[in-house]
Amino acid sequence: MNTVQELNNSLKSLIQEFEHILNQASSLQELEDARVVFLGRKGKLARIMSRLPELDPADRPGTGRTANEVKTELNRILENRKEALEKQAAAGGDITFDPTLPGRTPDMGSLHPVTRVIQDISNIFVGLGFDIVTGPEVETDFYNFEALNLPPGHPARDMQDTLYITKSLVLRTHTSPLQVRTMEKRRPPLAAIAPGKVYRRDSDLTHTPMFHQIEGFLVDTHVSMADLRGTLTAFAQRIFDPDVKVRFRPSFFPFTEPSAEVDISCVMCQGQGRNQDGSTCRVCKETGWVEVLGCGMIDPEVFLQVGYDPDIYTGFAFGLGVERVAMLKYGINDLRMFFENDIRFLNQFA
Amino acid sequence: MLLSLSWLREFTPYKGSIDELSHRLTMVGLEVEEIIRPFPHLSPLVVGRVIEKRQHPGADKLSLCSVNVGGPDSLNIVCGAPNVEAGQNVAVALEGTKLPGGQEIRKTRIRGETSQGMICSETELELGQDSAGIMVLNDGIKPGTGLSYALGLEEFVLDIGVTPNRPDCLSVLGLAREVAALFDLPLNMPVLNLYEDGDRDCTDEVQIEIEDPAGCPLYQARIISGCHIRPGPAWMRHRLMAVGVRPINNIVDVTNYIMLELGHPLHAFDRTLLEGDWIRVARAHSGSRFTTLDNQERELNDRDLLIRDTRKPVALAGVMGGANTEINDRSSEVLLECAVFNPLNIRQTARRLGLHSESSFRFERGVDQAGAPFALDRAAQLMSELGCGRVYKGVAKSEPRPCKPLQVGFRRERANSLLALDVDQEYCRRVLTSLGCQIQEESGTMQVTVPTYRPDITREVDLIEEIGRVYGLDKTPEHLPKVQKSLEQGEADHEYEFLDSIKQWARGLGLQETINYSFVGMTDLDFLGIPLEGRVRVFNPLSEEQDVMRSHLLPGLLYTLKHNLGQGNTRLRLFETARSFVQDQTSETGVRENNRLALMLYGRRHRGHWPYPQDDVDFYDLKGLVENLLQSFGSFEGHFVLQENHSYLEPAVRCVYHRKEIGLLGRVRPEQSRVYKARKDIWFADLDLDKLHELCSGVKPQFQALPRFPVVKRDMTVVAPLELGYQQVLEVVENAGVAILEDVSLVDMYLPQEQQEKKFTLRLTYRHPDRTLKDSEVDREQQKMVDLLLKKLPVGFP
Repeated sequence: MNTVQELNNSLKSLIQEFEHILNQASSLQELEDARVVFLGRKGKLARIMSRLPELDPADRPGTGRTANEVKTELNRILENRKEALEKQAAAGGDITFDPTLPGRTPDMGSLHPVTRVIQDISNIFVGLGFDIVTGPEVETDFYNFEALNLPPGHPARDMQDTLYITKSLVLRTHTSPLQVRTMEKRRPPLAAIAPGKVYRRDSDLTHTPMFHQIEGFLVDTHVSMADLRGTLTAFAQRIFDPDVKVRFRPSFFPFTEPSAEVDISCVMCQGQGRNQDGSTCRVCKETGWVEVLGCGMIDPEVFLQVGYDPDIYTGFAFGLGVERVAMLKYGINDLRMFFENDIRFLNQFA
Repeated sequence: MLLSLSWLREFTPYKGSIDELSHRLTMVGLEVEEIIRPFPHLSPLVVGRVIEKRQHPGADKLSLCSVNVGGPDSLNIVCGAPNVEAGQNVAVALEGTKLPGGQEIRKTRIRGETSQGMICSETELELGQDSAGIMVLNDGIKPGTGLSYALGLEEFVLDIGVTPNRPDCLSVLGLAREVAALFDLPLNMPVLNLYEDGDRDCTDEVQIEIEDPAGCPLYQARIISGCHIRPGPAWMRHRLMAVGVRPINNIVDVTNYIMLELGHPLHAFDRTLLEGDWIRVARAHSGSRFTTLDNQERELNDRDLLIRDTRKPVALAGVMGGANTEINDRSSEVLLECAVFNPLNIRQTARRLGLHSESSFRFERGVDQAGAPFALDRAAQLMSELGCGRVYKGVAKSEPRPCKPLQVGFRRERANSLLALDVDQEYCRRVLTSLGCQIQEESGTMQVTVPTYRPDITREVDLIEEIGRVYGLDKTPEHLPKVQKSLEQGEADHEYEFLDSIKQWARGLGLQETINYSFVGMTDLDFLGIPLEGRVRVFNPLSEEQDVMRSHLLPGLLYTLKHNLGQGNTRLRLFETARSFVQDQTSETGVRENNRLALMLYGRRHRGHWPYPQDDVDFYDLKGLVENLLQSFGSFEGHFVLQENHSYLEPAVRCVYHRKEIGLLGRVRPEQSRVYKARKDIWFADLDLDKLHELCSGVKPQFQALPRFPVVKRDMTVVAPLELGYQQVLEVVENAGVAILEDVSLVDMYLPQEQQEKKFTLRLTYRHPDRTLKDSEVDREQQKMVDLLLKKLPVGFP
């Protein structure tokens, strides 16, 4: 056999051999290994082609052409096989693959329901153009009481049982001091909310000595009760339910005049006073209404404390209990759950 | 305030339903918290007439009664009362009735005789103290009539939450005024028709002397003589009981009745126990003692106001009378006091002594001085009419500070603008007049004379509130405000936003937010070895567990951990953002509040089982979180420095950035974590968020062009003694001045067992910004670092 024939045979047999090996291969890696053996820089094809110079110059073009055809064929076979294998893999051909096994899920964190409610409420008011302000939790008697028209000896101080640090230093009993602090720092027009912890000397089924409030206030010229009502109605409908009914009951707070308490139609019984099974609704005690916040037009005394002219400026303020809103919103029925931090409770607010 | 509907109706003829009344009162600011039926257990009882009474054949003390209860057949009832007689109307509990004491009436046989019910005494019905015999009712009541109806018992009582600004509504009269105004009804004041008896004059008998006119602007008294002390009449007792006041005797019941009706507290002294003919109102001496009529000895101070006779104190003014002059069964003459005391004095005394009475409650809020004479006279009249005694002529009185009604200007436009209303002058006049105001108009503005019983109205805005209240705040218009802000002013503080982003970060890393109380117990801090100095103590804590503000977040989280372990939650990844509190005289309040972030890891590293290894979290999990925090918020790397002898962490590692301490992390000492039932290591970090906020607030991303030339990577293994930290190696390498060194990372750390050294394998990444590096120059630079390491550290190379 002459060299030409030998090389041509070798070239042709490469095709069969390659096909055979590729058919055995079950992974892309095996394909790659085979590619290196046949088509690599020092592979079988390359070795055959390196012998081309041994041929007569006349034979070289023919064999060279054959070699190129073989190379093309080998590449085609490889691509076909690769495609087939990929298709097979995509079709779930790998029998060890089990998509129902658990994934490597990163841990689920959670935000405390109090935080979630504060976020929800803040988002509503920030959307309306309110800023968010903060202030000290250990507060002076002046900011917590006096500047809010609660002089020493005022009977309304009894409305809030106070935890004292010293005679003149208290744990703030409400977030209302932020009204005064903010008004001192800035000039109207201003609109802000102040979320935060507050403290009362009270602990039973429906009271914890620490809880959260959000204070809101707006001061400008010509602010009226209509602005207050519009703001709080929109707020209640956004935070609870677009169909919720809102009512304003006159009440008393020393730092607002007129003052009102705001009730919403009970979210548990839809204001019916009775549950669907006919039992009495415990959340609203059959009244169909639940109190959610206190509000009013800022009292002129408060403006005088911060040097605003009450004949020029008017404003409104409101304060609401965050836990109360969370209980209504999420149907939580036990206040103590908030501060036990049982992770089975926390998990529900991921 | 408990308001009886029938009592209210004596003052104003309200005919509507109880629900309508409740609703309207609630919507004018007098929230009806509950509608009470005061004698629910009496509703099944009926009036029966004893037709026949026979001796029980088997028992001397029992009678057999045949009782007509309105039905066709009369009932046989066995009765043991000595006073039962044929012809009497009596209270009958029928079969199935439950008595207030819980006893259920059944058809029984008593010594062989059938009894089909029970004839009741006052005591059995809890209507009085008389248990000597059965209740005998008026003749002329039809048998079968409901007992409640027959006795005229109150059907409904409203429990009204009266806000502290409305002392006038702490009386039937005050509430009747509101109801009359609301429903446009007349107000019927009781007719005063006092019969003064005898020729002795009270003003000759008693002199009033007031030493503290500010503390007592008015003191007046009457004398009732020839008294017979006995239970008050049934209707009065029942009415008092319906609103929760215990009947005492005829004199005391009248004083209570008038207080509830007119809002004016009265006090009755046994005059035979008063010495001399003086009543003096004066401050107590500090440290003196006085026994109040609840037989408690009280220590007084010089702000307490006392009523004295010539020799001794006889009452703690406005709060409680003295035991030494209390009305008793033998009291034959009564001095009846009706005074006005300064709210502040009364409040201080009542609060300090923890002695809150119906009387102090009203004085603290302010009683109507102008109404006091009427209250005194009406009380005297009732005592006279009820046969308690005879009323002397005249009133002993001193009024050093007469009260004058206040005049307040009122502009309708102002009311309309604040309430967003459009009411006319006539409407305002009508509303204010219906509330008792008198109005004079002067060139468009109104001068409003406010009745003395409304101390809450002192300014125009208070009158505006009245207009709004009566109009109905719920009916005023509403719209969204145009929120305007001036941009020149400083921005709002960003504390909230920063803390919120921290919370989002923590949640994203799979941590669960907790909220613990800001106060802990002193012992909690002691237990963790936290020094006493600087603690912020609560002056009047609810309990010892909550008597100090937390200076560290660990105790709260340890309680949370304990709770969860107790519930079987054994894998915890918790965080909390909260303030710590430390004394600091330089801060505005004397207390420095510092926002902190606490992280706590406990138990397994991974939440699932397969395909994870089942090992527990360790220091590097915690450190990784802290590093992530620093990079997320400030894109900086902290230094972690071991701290020896920390009081509650072992190991304790300080996290420092540019000499600023950002926080501390480590493992809670096992002897401490065991107390909280932890069986595994508790990994805990406490970080200063204010500092982090400060550090990261200046950080702004700065774009850098992406590199165009390839890197060269080389590994280098350093053999180091065990005590040498990775950080030290890293610092030498990084500070070697090799400009083309782009990055160093640890690819492996090998700790051969039982050997005195460890091996760090570093991967060094080199790059030149402007050209491709040659192998030879990389070799040269790497050798530079090797030499430097050998020179500076006790290290070797394999």
